[in-house]
Amino acid sequence: MSRELEYIRCHICEAVNYVNEKETKCRRCHEEIAPNLRLSYHKTLAFLITAIIFYIPANLYPILVSKQFGKTTTNTIMGGIIHLWDAGSYPIALIILLASVFVPLLKFILIIYLLISTRHNLHSSKVDKHKLFYITEIIGPWSMVDVFVVVILSVLIHFSGVQIFPGEGATAFGLMVFFTMISAQSFDPRLINQQKGDTF
Amino acid sequence: MITEEELDNLIICKKCHTLHKRVPLPPNKKAFCSKCDILLYQNNPNILNKTLALVIAATISLFVAFKFTIVTIDIQGMEKSLTLYALFMVILEQHQYIVGVMFIFLIFIFPITIIFSMLILLILMKRKKGGYLVKRLLILLAHIRPWSMVDIFFISLLVAMVKLFDYAYIELGVSFIALIFTLILDIIITKNLSFYELWNLYTKIYGGVNE
Ligand SMILES: [Zn+2]
Ligand SMILES: [Zn+2]
Repeated sequence: MSRELEYIRCHICEAVNYVNEKETKCRRCHEEIAPNLRLSYHKTLAFLITAIIFYIPANLYPILVSKQFGKTTTNTIMGGIIHLWDAGSYPIALIILLASVFVPLLKFILIIYLLISTRHNLHSSKVDKHKLFYITEIIGPWSMVDVFVVVILSVLIHFSGVQIFPGEGATAFGLMVFFTMISAQSFDPRLINQQKGDTF
Repeated sequence: MITEEELDNLIICKKCHTLHKRVPLPPNKKAFCSKCDILLYQNNPNILNKTLALVIAATISLFVAFKFTIVTIDIQGMEKSLTLYALFMVILEQHQYIVGVMFIFLIFIFPITIIFSMLILLILMKRKKGGYLVKRLLILLAHIRPWSMVDIFFISLLVAMVKLFDYAYIELGVSFIALIFTLILDIIITKNLSFYELWNLYTKIYGGVNE
């Protein structure tokens, strides 16, 4: 057993705790620090599946609906990006592409990878996996950019003849980001330290 | 068995989870992780007063940011302003409850809660009072900090403005400037004071109060 295995970093107060079977509360903030690993694994998986399910309508349904003198046009996320690209707004198109398409996919893949690596020996370094997990948590919320943009536009473009609304896609997208964040938060970093064959 | 003091002298890197031993630092010096170079801890004298001043400034700028107009657009003489009030009205009118509620929590309720909690807990810590409340506020902060998205809102605002550039005349309001101030202050606060240090101060000030 490596040295790090015996110590837990409390995710609330960041205090270092020495693990023993009896004490599962942090010595400083008294919050739960050693939740059941099996439960943590299944919660992460369940929230991730929910997020992936919401990702489908988030891309198929319009994120933006605009009404111009009775005429309705809709835009999906990809449609919006292509539109921006054609109009020559390359930096904005790239920001939206990164934030709305790549970041969620990257997060899904990463969480799946981390979950698989707890059950199978993938010969990857623990330090690298901790770093990857840290980065996913940092970049995750940035997927909200497109939803925020639509809400801001719906407040500003709100005239009697011309109006912009968030579409069903925006709701699905917001929920997708919410469940991805909950999924990552349910993931206990101790799962990374699991050895092959460890039961939990 | 390991004693509390020995545990207090250990720190686990938040990024790579490597275990480090803390060493006493001279004033204004920082310690970084040997594996991933992220800031671990620092010796910042007079940290409570400095942070309190910054948090008071941030409270004022956040209040201004939500009180007045962020941007006004003008399309062929028709004007529309982005304010918190306008946002509430549009959400109610368009029945965008899920997106609307998420938006209001992420850019308004959570940031306000964070800044007020910081204000209260720093004042209490300065006066060495209310250990239990300080602890509850620190725990609350740890839970809601990932959900505050003022920075992402600001970038979204810039994206929305670029999208409107061709159709509308855009005028920046007082709140736009206040929003920039809030973000700069937030960066300075989090650079100077990590929550790890706040918790250490909590232990130092209130000792081992088990309430
Ligand atoms: Zn703790
Ligand atoms: Zn590190």
